[in-house]
Amino acid sequence: MDTIDRRRFIEKMLALGGGAAAAAALMSLAGCSGGPSPAPTGENITVAPPSAPPAGAAYLAVARGEHPEALVQRSIAALGGIERFVKPGNDVIIKPNICTSNRAPEYAATTNPEVVAALVTLCLGAGAARVRVMDYPFSGGHEEAYSSSGIAEAVAGAGGRMEVMAGMKFQDTPAPHGLILSSCRVYQEILDADVLIDVPIAKQHGNTVLTLGMKNLLGVVDNPSSYHTAQMSERVVDLNTVVRPHLVVVDAVRILLNNGPTGGSLNDVKRTNTVIASHDIVAADSYGATLFGKTAADLPIVQAGARRGLGTTDLGSLNIEEIPV
Amino acid sequence: MQALVLALFLYLLVADHAGAGTVLPADLFFHLDPLAGLSSSLASRSFMAPVLLGLLTLALTLALGRAWCSWACPLGTLLDWTSLRRLRHPRGRPSPWRHVKYVTLLAVLVGAVLGTLGLLVLDPITILFRTLGSGVIPGINLAVTRGESWLYRFDALQGFLDGFDRFVRGTLLPGAEPYFVPSLALLLVMAAILAANAIRPRFWCRYLCPLGGLLGLASRVSLLRRSVDQEKCSRCRKCARECPVGAIDSEKEYRSDPGECTLCLRCVEGCPAHAIALRRETRPAAPDLEGLTRRQVLGSFGLMLAGVALLRLPSVLRGSGRRRLRPPGSSEDDIMRRCIRCGICVNICPTRAIHPAGPGPDYDHLWTPALVPRLGYCDYSCRRCGEACPTGAIPALTLAEKQSAVIGTARIDTTRCIPWSQNTNCIVCQEMCPLAEKAIELEDVAVTNGEGLETTVRRPVVLPDRCIGCGLCEHQCPLNGEAAIRVYPEEGQGRRQGR
Repeated sequence: MDTIDRRRFIEKMLALGGGAAAAAALMSLAGCSGGPSPAPTGENITVAPPSAPPAGAAYLAVARGEHPEALVQRSIAALGGIERFVKPGNDVIIKPNICTSNRAPEYAATTNPEVVAALVTLCLGAGAARVRVMDYPFSGGHEEAYSSSGIAEAVAGAGGRMEVMAGMKFQDTPAPHGLILSSCRVYQEILDADVLIDVPIAKQHGNTVLTLGMKNLLGVVDNPSSYHTAQMSERVVDLNTVVRPHLVVVDAVRILLNNGPTGGSLNDVKRTNTVIASHDIVAADSYGATLFGKTAADLPIVQAGARRGLGTTDLGSLNIEEIPV
Repeated sequence: MQALVLALFLYLLVADHAGAGTVLPADLFFHLDPLAGLSSSLASRSFMAPVLLGLLTLALTLALGRAWCSWACPLGTLLDWTSLRRLRHPRGRPSPWRHVKYVTLLAVLVGAVLGTLGLLVLDPITILFRTLGSGVIPGINLAVTRGESWLYRFDALQGFLDGFDRFVRGTLLPGAEPYFVPSLALLLVMAAILAANAIRPRFWCRYLCPLGGLLGLASRVSLLRRSVDQEKCSRCRKCARECPVGAIDSEKEYRSDPGECTLCLRCVEGCPAHAIALRRETRPAAPDLEGLTRRQVLGSFGLMLAGVALLRLPSVLRGSGRRRLRPPGSSEDDIMRRCIRCGICVNICPTRAIHPAGPGPDYDHLWTPALVPRLGYCDYSCRRCGEACPTGAIPALTLAEKQSAVIGTARIDTTRCIPWSQNTNCIVCQEMCPLAEKAIELEDVAVTNGEGLETTVRRPVVLPDRCIGCGLCEHQCPLNGEAAIRVYPEEGQGRRQGR
């Protein structure tokens, strides 16, 4: 029978212990991501408000007419031109609403492809080094959604690039001005880009009444359903304090009046032939509400956003340019 | 040759899993597998398309013998590569245990005649496909996904990770996917097969494999057989010791049992005296039951029949009612009689809704496809499982049929649902419902909350007549752990389910 002396016994035990420690380290590594965020302090929950636009530029522009591309061009022109937002060499990300692969653009569940393409063209015209378009669909494959929404084809035609959002790039990002959340799992490229353009389609929504620019940003986190629980408005605003688009373009060429966010019946779709643009996400959303016969007072997220300094709901005080096209 | 076939098998499996599409049909090997075709035809009492290529395999076996096992079978190749050479049989005699595989084969076929394909889980092609597709690749993907996420924190690695991720996703791996924990059992089975392989090379093929049994029976009358030139033979026992399936009997002039010989040709090439060759033979081989008593043979058949009957009994007693969430359009009966447990649907489902079910109360349901909505939902516009199923156990539906095929019905657990139990709004399930006329409605209810304040809460309510049970609501329910809305395989009110 073999005997084990003390030295060998200790060596073996050390080896075992080392193996166990390595395994434990691996396991903790595997389980380290995610998890609920600790409660934030609740101090300093407001952010710096949007700056005033340069002289001669409208604070908010609304273009109405038949051709989506022209609506985008004219509304951006009224804001002082795309050059106000995009400088030569900039890395631009456009974030439309591509929530599902189940609906063609006519159903107004996803952003109008012509609107997105017009923005890509404008940005490239201003000398952007790269224009990427992305969203994180909650239903269906991402490539399928890009393609069924018509956005992939339109963007490719305009010279932009669709990016499938890679899981690894959603990382915990501190939310220093968060009320509920102390961090958000944000797609890092969104934060790294020079310019972020938020392009929601105006839709009815069961909890937040409407989906507009602020709620559209739920597509830059990989755990959007966790935002739909208690105090949803404040959670969405917490995310908006972390991710602040430089430009918001609300696509209201078609709007979805009911059964949002995915619809599915053309009876729920209304053609409103409108594009709203502003650097102020709260103002853009407030104006968007009027297309549904509502005001900012009806939208809890917009209210909360205004309270937290993201922008203004007081449309009467703003320089709004309405452009018939 | 072996490596090529295994590479083809892996390519079909991996590309299909990643959603990349395949040049050849992904279910090619299940068509080539005569056992799958034969037993599904028996069980469904109908002619199954997969039989055709399987007949080809059978015809080749009739001509060449059991060559499939050492030239084509991907599991056999894996076992060849993982056997420990030095442990090869020193006795140089075939073991009587080799006859067990004929009992396994009969059990599969008897089960099929009785209307269950439950024992097809023993088919070697399904074993390997299922294990890799449901047990191994998702595990690799989990490790890759977690690893990428963790490494992405280091700025210096981001460029590399970006390129790596772009290359891997959609070619070798799909996007991030969940791991269905019960699939670990598949790994245990494979581990057992590999462990046995260490005791005896190709333990599985020699003693247990029902497909090997079927091909072994066919090769008893095959035209090409191994023969030993007794004048040249030096009785060195080399061939008997090294035969990977132990087919050669050192005490019977080094002849081999044609039902066991897999024509690997190692003995032909390795014989120092060049005494071994393959020759044409027209007489069928006599059954070789040496070492077995009549009582053993009859006893094992009796036990087998009793076992199959016991296996079949629970589902017969319980009738054909729905007990699991099945892929869209397939009924419990389709699954029992047509499903060959191959795991093609599990492997191809892009939203990872389908997983191999555990046995549950009906033992013969083991590893049939079942939906697990918490892990993955059935995408409203996707029909891939029905298109991929080689036996029609999941019917190929049109998009309109698929979008109205009822998988189950969602029910709200009001003790967990946030608006129901906490008087706080949450409408994720309603928002997610993909139907144009949503199957989940919100009802405004005036409540008095804990602080004594009158407030209105929007509570989700399921309309069972609309719900098709796609499970997107259950999948996306924001609660941790079990969802507060769950899909059950029950009938919607006043509506027939399945086909």
